This record gives sequence, C-alpha cells and structure tokens, in this order.
Amino acid sequence: MQSLLLYLFLILTVVSTSVFIYVYRSSIKAGDKDGGLTNVLTKRMWFILILFVVLAIFFSATVPKSPYFMFKDEIPSKSVNVTAGQYFFYMSYSAINPDAPTSEPIELGVNELVEFRVTSRDVTHTFAVYDENNQVVAQTQAMPGYVNNLRWKFEKPGTYKIFCLEYCGAGHHIMRGSFTVK
Amino acid sequence: MENKFKKITSLWIITVLILFVVAIILGLLMRFNQGGNIKLDPVTFYTDMTIHGLTMIGIWFVAGMAAVNYIMERYVRTSYKANLIAYIMTVVGVLMLWGAGFIGKFHAGWTFLYPLPFKIMWEQWATPLFLYALLVLGVGWTIWTVSLMISLLKKYTLSQVFAWQHFKRDAKPEVETPPFVLISMISLVGVLSCLITAAALDFLLLTEYYSNGGFINDALLMKNLTYFFGHTLANEMLYLGLAVIYELFSEVSGRPKWKTSWYVAYAWNLTLFFVLFAFLHHMYMDFVQPETLQIIGQLASYLASIPSTGVTIFSILVAVYGTKINWNLANLMFFIGTAGWVSGGIGAVIDATISNNFLLHNTLWVPAHFHTYNALGNVLFSLGFFYWFSFQLKDGIIKDKHSMLKILLIVIGGIGFLAAFYFAGADSVARRYANYPEEMASGKFWATFGGTFATIYLLGIILFIGGILKRCFGFVFSRV
Ligand code: HEM
Ligand SMILES: [Cu+2]
Repeated sequence: MQSLLLYLFLILTVVSTSVFIYVYRSSIKAGDKDGGLTNVLTKRMWFILILFVVLAIFFSATVPKSPYFMFKDEIPSKSVNVTAGQYFFYMSYSAINPDAPTSEPIELGVNELVEFRVTSRDVTHTFAVYDENNQVVAQTQAMPGYVNNLRWKFEKPGTYKIFCLEYCGAGHHIMRGSFTVK
Repeated sequence: MENKFKKITSLWIITVLILFVVAIILGLLMRFNQGGNIKLDPVTFYTDMTIHGLTMIGIWFVAGMAAVNYIMERYVRTSYKANLIAYIMTVVGVLMLWGAGFIGKFHAGWTFLYPLPFKIMWEQWATPLFLYALLVLGVGWTIWTVSLMISLLKKYTLSQVFAWQHFKRDAKPEVETPPFVLISMISLVGVLSCLITAAALDFLLLTEYYSNGGFINDALLMKNLTYFFGHTLANEMLYLGLAVIYELFSEVSGRPKWKTSWYVAYAWNLTLFFVLFAFLHHMYMDFVQPETLQIIGQLASYLASIPSTGVTIFSILVAVYGTKINWNLANLMFFIGTAGWVSGGIGAVIDATISNNFLLHNTLWVPAHFHTYNALGNVLFSLGFFYWFSFQLKDGIIKDKHSMLKILLIVIGGIGFLAAFYFAGADSVARRYANYPEEMASGKFWATFGGTFATIYLLGIILFIGGILKRCFGFVFSRV
C-alpha cells in the first residue's frame, strides 16, 4: 500500500511540475505579442469542478476505510493491554498496573480479531505495528489518561515488531517490542 | 518609502538569512548522524532537532511578516515602533530558546507535546526558560500582528478589508480592495488565532509548572491546542508569502497589476475558514478523538486545496502562459516556489487521508511534505522578496548574476534532499529517530543521500544570499 501511495505521489508531482515547465517555456517562446490563455474563467471553473469531483470520489472511497470503522460490528476474540512508557512497551492479556508494569509474551492467531487497548504511563508514545517486511501495518497513539482501542486481524503468521512513532525523549528510537502470530 | 522601514526590513533579512544558514547546518548534522556518517549522542541530536524546527518556523514566519509590513506601507501607514518591538522581542526570544536548547539541553521537539516538557530530562531551568521564551515571542508577534490589522482597518472598513464588496460578479465597487490587502488581512486573522491559542497553551503549561502537582492538564486537549497552533501557523506563513506574490509577481514581471475579482474574494474568505479545521488531521491516530472531528479534518484538508489551486495557482499559470515576462531571479523564485508548493500539497493531501495516515503518520513522509512546501516553496517566496528588496535599496533595477547556477543548485539539491524523505517515509522509516534500528536500515541510506543533496542546496542558498546580504548590510550601515 505504501509503495502505491509513493507512485501516486510521484506521478502527480511529475504531472504538475511538467505543467509548470510547459507554461514557463510557452512564456519564453511568446516573443513580443501576447498569446495568453483565452476563456480563462470557463477553464478555471472546469478545473475547479474536476478537482472537486476527484476529491469527492477519493473522499467517499477512503473515509469508510478509516481505522475507526474497521471491524466495528465484530466481537474481538482476544484483547491485549498495552502500556507504553519511556522507553518500553508493556503488553499483557490482563490489566497492567502503571506503577509496577509487567509484560507477558503475546501470541495471536492468524485472522483472529484482536483488540489492543493502548495507553501510556508517562508521555505520549505510539503503538506502531511493523510486519516482517518492516512496513507499518497498523498504529494508534498511546496517550496518558486515555485508552485507544485498535482492532486488527493479522493475515500472515510471523513475528511483528512494535516501534514508537511519537517523539518521547532521547530514548525514542530505542523503544521496541514484539509479538508473534501463529 | 521612508528609509527607516528599509533599514528595519534589511535587519530582518540579515537576521533571517544568518539564522537560516545555522539552522540548515543543524539539519545537515541530523541527516548525517542518521546516515551514520557522523556520531552525535541522542541528546545532542534531539536538541539540534528541537532548535532546528523552532528556528526555521520562527524565521520564515517573521520573514513573511516583514515582507508584508514593507509592502503594506504602499497602502497604509504602519507602525514602525511595532515592527521594531517585534524585532527586539524576536531576537531576545530566539536567544532564550537557543539558551534553553544549546545550554540547557531542552529537547522536547518543536511541538513540545504535553507532558513532555515536564519530564525533565535536561537542566531544571530549561523548561521555564523555554516557556518564557514562547511568551516573549508570542507577545512581540501579537503586538506586530494587531498593529498591522489596525493599520489596515484605519483605511478599510471590515467588509472592505475582506473584499466582500467584490463578491458580486460584475460589481464595480467604489473602493477596490487590492489582493495584497485582502490576503494580508486573512493571514493576519489566522496568525492572531494561532497566537491566542499559543498563549492559552503557554498559560496552561506555566500553571501546571507552578502548581506543584495541584493542576494537571488534559493530554488530548493540549494536543489539539498544540496542533491548532503549530499547523495553522505553518499554513499562515505560506499565505503571508502569497500576499507578497499577488503584489509583486506582476510588478517584477513587467505586467499589469492583479486585481481582486469575485472568485479571488471568495477563495480567500473560504480559505480563512477551511484552514482553521485542517489541523485536525494531526489527531487522526488518537482514536479517542470524536469521529466527527476526524472526518471534518479530512474534509477541511481536502477542501482547503480547492481555492489555493483553483484560484492562486491557476492565476499564476495563466499570468505566465504564452505571455512575455521579464524573467529574473525574483519572479523565478516565486514561480519555482509555487511549483514546490503544489508538490508539497500533493504529499500533504495524501497524508491527510485518514486511511493513508494510518500507515504514514509520523514516518518520514511528514517531514517530506512539509519540507517540500517550505524548502522549495515558502522559502523561495521569501528569497524572491529579499532579492527584489535588496535592489530597491539601490536603483530598483534587478541585475542577475549566475542565475542558472544558483537555481540548479537549489532545485537539484532540494529535490534530492526531499526525495530521500519521501522514499524513506514510504518505506515506513520513522521520523525523529536519532539512529535507525536495523529494521529501518533503508533510512540510513536515504539519510546520507538526503544529506548530500541538502549540502548542494545549502551551497545554492549561500550563493543566492551573498549579494542580498551585501546590499542589506551596506544599507544598514549607511548614513541615509
Ligand atoms: C536543506 C535544509 C534543511 C535540512 C537539511 C533539514 C533537515 C531536517 C531534518 C534532518 C529534520 C529531522 C527529520 C526527522 O524527523 O528525522 C528536520 C525537521 C524539521 N525541519 Fe528541517 N531541514 C531543512 C530545511 C527546513 C526548512 C526550510 C524548514 C522550514 C520551516 C524546516 C523545518 C523543520 C521542522 C519544523 C522540523 C521538525 C522538527 C521536529 O520534529 O521537532 N526545515 N529538518
Ligand atoms: Cu517515542
């Protein structure tokens, strides 16, 4: 998915930059007589209309895929509590005491619906899940005083890694965790 | 134009450019550390990062303000005193920030997300010094902003300053509102809303700091305030630059002046509104935030792109297409900056889509897009203005030297520097990592790559600003 977004970005940027280059060259070639654009207002309105329609299509196609609506009507078969802290992730099936946090190894089933209940015991962190190809598959913030519920089904077995994506201090980049999917 | 305005504007330019070079060097240090080419300890890295971010945001904001103030003198009388106060408070505020960072090792990131400033991992005094630095900057900038608004409102009524009399399609209003006046006012209103939010944020932080545990803030509310302030400020900076372009692009190109048409009036009034909600896209990964707000965030982020592309960018392209233009480094910077702004905007809209943000949030995609519309967008707008301005100090005739070389270095350096961020971001490499773990090994490669190109960019910038600095220094120390 990420590489798809990269291609989309590259294509759109190359197209828009080409328009700028084309327009610049048309100015260089113009000489002394003005051969500017005619019927500008009509063209402008067409441009706005097309842009609006394209954005509306993207909007209605993507909003239902927002993580808040995913697996909303299903009942998770497992829940995992996650407490983030400088600079660790504590994960457990049972409740975690923020003052004396403990962790246990987490093992999930393939295609099993899990709910991660994510919070923090100090500053804001992120609970970001990376797959075996080291790509982000899902994430949510770990914010003190709040619990964010992230529901997900892992389609592939393997070891998944957790990294923090919200800057949380000088050990931010060493924060990590993992769990397995079988 | 009075010479004192030329002097203070020169002073702003000199200050901004010197700080810019320093901040770029901090950026290079970060990139080469991430690439493993040099070794900084993490605290130094994150201190550099915090100072780099704050300095860059600060200088390009004041650069936009200084340019708007200078040009506003064409239409209304502005307060020299307010400008000078803002200058002094900016210098003091920046020195305080640098003290908190370089000496006190304060490193909570430029967004200082609550409660990070209170997890003291630095000198005890650095947190209050940082909070007071924000206060000094905030007060100075508020005085300046309000004073410019008052200057405009002395000449234009409220409805005129927002160009409402232009809404009717073939209106021939008695008083015409120049686009520069309209866009300046719209941006100043936005800036003021950021500064008020920043004041509230700073007040809440200081209250907690002095309450000894008696008062605890709400992390979600604080994050909303932080991003309303941070995101909106970053946006308004760009709009200040656009106000200048609406005024100067035609002028330096030897073309007739742009007027406010009905769609320009609508576009900017709509922008004023949309931009206030776009910050919500920073909250997407906080699932506890009400879902309606999340969707409003995506809607506002999408809608904000319509007036900017459909009106401003379209107008710039129309102004150039098939038309003879006196090209020089000033309007070339404006034109290239516009292209950069569009590219950054594309990256931004992709990331402002909730389902994409789920994968890209806080990866290097984020610095990728905002560096695009800064390093190859807004910075070029301001550099174009600086360049034009520096010739106003002499006879007003722009004389380019080595323009091809300067542009090539800035553009090629810039593209390579930015591409490294995008490619790494799309490969899930995290932002704000002093060193990359082996899982993000590609980040290391891209960091060295990006740092190398950023060095080329820096070279171009130094060549570009040399003449500007010479002319500004010459003027400041002349006896006119
Ligand atoms: C060639 C010039 C520049 C270089 C080499 C550079 C480099 C960097 C690097 C390496 C980072 C940290 C990226 C990370 O998250 O891992 C960064 C962050 C940042 N940069 Fe730049 N940058 C440059 C220009 C600019 C400009 C023109 C702006 C203008 C606004 C800017 C604003 C920022 C901000 C706000 C941050 C975020 C700081 C934070 O995360 O707290 N940078 N830059
Ligand atoms: Cu972190």
